[in-house]
Formats: sequence, C-alpha cells, structure tokens
Amino acid sequence: MMWGRVLSTDFIKIRGKGIWFLVFLGPIGLIAMQALNFGLRYDYLMEAYKEDVWGGLIVNIVIFIPMSLIMGITLLCSLMANVEHQTSSWKQLLALPVSRMTVFSAKFGLGVILLLVSCALLVLGTIALGLGLQLGTDIPYQDIVRFCFLPFIGTLPILALQLWLSLTYSNQAISVSMGITIAIASLFAAKYDEWVPMKWPNMALDGPHQIEAIVASLFVGFTVLLLGMAHFSRKDVA
Amino acid sequence: MMSELVIQTRNLNKRYRGRSAVSNLNLEIAKGEIYGFLGPNGAGKTTTIRMLLGLIRPTEGSVQIFGKDLNKEKLNILRRVGSLVEYPSYYGHLTAVQNLETVRRILDVPRSRIDEVLDIVSLTKESKRAVKGYSLGMKQRLGIASALLGNPELLILDEPTNGLDPAGIQEIRELIREMPQRHGITVLVSSHLLGEIEQMASTVGIIREGEMVFQNTIQNLKDRASEGIRIVVSEPEEAIRVAMDQGFEGTMQQGMLQFPNLNDAQVALLVKRLVDSSHDVYRVEEKKKSLEDIFLQVIGEGGIS
Repeated sequence: MMWGRVLSTDFIKIRGKGIWFLVFLGPIGLIAMQALNFGLRYDYLMEAYKEDVWGGLIVNIVIFIPMSLIMGITLLCSLMANVEHQTSSWKQLLALPVSRMTVFSAKFGLGVILLLVSCALLVLGTIALGLGLQLGTDIPYQDIVRFCFLPFIGTLPILALQLWLSLTYSNQAISVSMGITIAIASLFAAKYDEWVPMKWPNMALDGPHQIEAIVASLFVGFTVLLLGMAHFSRKDVA
Repeated sequence: MMSELVIQTRNLNKRYRGRSAVSNLNLEIAKGEIYGFLGPNGAGKTTTIRMLLGLIRPTEGSVQIFGKDLNKEKLNILRRVGSLVEYPSYYGHLTAVQNLETVRRILDVPRSRIDEVLDIVSLTKESKRAVKGYSLGMKQRLGIASALLGNPELLILDEPTNGLDPAGIQEIRELIREMPQRHGITVLVSSHLLGEIEQMASTVGIIREGEMVFQNTIQNLKDRASEGIRIVVSEPEEAIRVAMDQGFEGTMQQGMLQFPNLNDAQVALLVKRLVDSSHDVYRVEEKKKSLEDIFLQVIGEGGIS
C-alpha cells in the first residue's frame, strides 16, 4: 500500500537526525526527574503517600506529561519537516507519483508512532522506577498505562497543527515559537475553560468530562489534519 | 507533420500577485527528441517546468503529457516522468543507496534498479558514502540517477549542468545525449547557455520574459545565422550592374558586393556570370552570425525578424 511505503521511507529519512534520541530523551528525562525527586526525599515522600505509594509516583510524573508531550510534538514536527526543507527535497518528493495527501498523512502517522513509542517507554520507565524505589509488587498497570497514553490523545489537535505549521513554513522559528507558546500556556490549563484545547490533555486523564475531552480531541485533531492536508495539497511548491 | 507529442501546453500562464512569470506558453515536444528549453535566468523556465510536474498550479491554460491532462491524471503521468528541478534534492545524511531507496519505495521498482542507475551515472563506487560529502557534480548525477529510477519515458531536467566544472558538464551532456537512442527517452532539458543546448538538443524553445519567442529545430535556428554572401571583385560598380541584370538583389558596401541568402546554385550562377563578363572574382564568402548573436538578438528583441 502506498501509504505504508511512504511511511517506510520516512523512517529511513529520520535516521541519524536526532529524532529517535528525542523519542527516548522525553520519557527518560521524566523518569530521571522523579528518580531524583524520590531519591532525595525518599522517606518524606513515602510517608506522605503511604496510603498509595504507586499512586504518589504516578501523580508526580503525570503533572509533567502534557507539557512534555507538547514540547516533544513541537520538536518532532520541526525535525521531521526539516529533513525535507533542508535541501528542498519537496520538489523531488512531490514530483513522484504519490499524492500529497499521502505524503502529509504519512508524516502525521510517523509523528503518532514516535509519540506512542515515547508513551510506551514512559510506562516501562515508571514501572522500573517504582520497582527500583521498592514501592511493592502490587503494580497498578492499568493506571500507569491510562495515565501515560490518555494525555497523548488530548494533544492530537496540537500535533496536527504543529505538523501543518512545520511542513508549510520552511522557517521553523514560526512553528517552534508557536509550539513553545502552547506548551507554556498548557501549564496554566487548570485555569482555562473546558473548551480550550490546551486543557484537553489534562481533562483526558480523568475527571467528569473525560470522555467528552477525548472525543473532542479526536474530532478536532482529525479536522485540523484534514484542513492541513487540503492546504498542503493545493499549495505551490517552491 | 510532427510525430506524437509527449508534452503539449496550451496558453499556459502563471501570475504571481499580478506579475506575469509565464504567459501564453505553447510548448510542443515530440516523442524521442531532446528539447532544449533556453532562456536567460528568470525568464520563466523553472516556473514552466514546475507546472509541467504539477508542483505549482497554472493560473490559466492546460498541460498535456502523453496526451493526458495533467490536472486529471497527475499520478499516472508522473509515474512515467523522471525529473531534476534546479539544484539537486537529496538527503545529505543518507548514502546514495539510501537516498535512492526512499524514491524506489514510492515508485515500487525492483531493488536491482538502484544498482543499474548508479552504474549509469557512474556512482557505484561512492554509493555507500553520505551524500553531504559529495561534490556538486556527484550530487547532480545522483539527481539524474533518481530521475532514471522509475524507467521514465520522459525526462525533465532543469539546468542539469548548472554549477558544474567542464568535465562534469561534459559527462552530463554525454549522459543526456544517450537517452533517446539507448533508452528511448524523450528529454526536456533547460539551460541559460545556448552552447550547452546546441550540443545536445534537436529542437529548441527560447523563452524570454515568460513568452516563447522561438520554437523550432536547432537546424532552423542555425539557418537563420547566415547573413548572406559577400563577393569581392575587381570593379564592383560594374559587377553590381551585371548582377542586377541577372535578377540578383544585391547591394554594394565598402567596395564589396552583398547578397542576402543565396543557395549554392545561385552562387555558382552569379560567379559564372561575373567571370563571363570579364570580372576578376577575388573572394566569395558567407557572412555568418554566431548562434550566440542570434540568441542574444532573439532574447533581446523578442523574436526573429
């Protein structure tokens, strides 16, 4: 299938571009931060979370997930797009018998896969850290998986937006400043109304409107993806 | 009548914010020929080529390739076209083989084809090296290799020799010249240098400020280079009268007789008549403009008078 073949070429293109490094750096960074946090104040934290020590660890990791995801999305999209912008490969790629929709959506697919890898690594890292901190073998697998993957769904609209910005404007300063702005703004998500997409990564975790946030994220993410694809299909290639 | 047309554009127009980059371009390229697309920098060559490849949309007009409308059957057409647009596109961090592999997977041709095209452009030895370390000539050859990867019937090369040293230019030129005979490929090659095109192309199209000002065979262009025959004789005043009596339209300039385009038989007849009327004929010469002069005249005035 053409989409799969294009995706496979994208995997070739990102070799040695620091993209895989970023995919590993994100979750490892989050885990290292909590290793330090728990390592330094082990007794205090164990006392504070004695009801549910695993839950305590998860809470400490989860608060950083939305912002890390958005930063990760920003950098990933920019790095992925730069592979094509750098030597203006667009004119070669888009003169091949492949639709631009396919090219664009394959990049989106690549982004989703890479971010899912990061999320999966975070799951493994959390379990490893918990075991290392001797939080017991009663591991709340379900919670860990839920907390590591659900915020990702909430960031799908941002992924679609950042991908479009990065692929459209060869000047990556535009997409990166936008991404950083969104990431910083997401720190204050608690204060936003529920319709603000930056609140959705948090809402997708739990809370009364969790399902609505997940559905809205999928819907808006898909819509932004379609709009981006439509624009990408019509634009002139320099 | 011309053979089957591979590329035909009708009233192709591209305007950017009111500024016209290409206007009313009617390109006609027949099967099996090497078409030289000539014009100064900024004349609209690359813009035209981008439209032929569907990279940019024409403001007006249509493009037909292989007799099909580019707008409707873009992917089917592009499957049969290989292209190299301006400076080469490549992924510098990948090797030549990896670069070609990214194209091969989309074209879905057998893996052995990569070795074949690398061999055609003589890059086999360097194929395992990251492309960013290549010379410009090697990058350009890699570009041609990826253009050839899908066994195209039409090759569109935009300034393929730009920035190359003389040896590199020679190599690319040889490569292009072989295409029609050895592989049956029709080639559109653009350049801003007439000398370049002259040595490869059978047909030329000259574009100036977005408009086609000449489109014919290279031979036809060369024929226009002749400015006539010049004859030096002992008594020019009398000689010109003799010539006029014979019906030759001539003039006298600086003691020499000038005649616009005469064919061989006419020249022979004229000389015979002059000799018969006891004129000493010292010299008979053809005055020629260089192709470069014609090219400059064409792009300067916008047409051949």
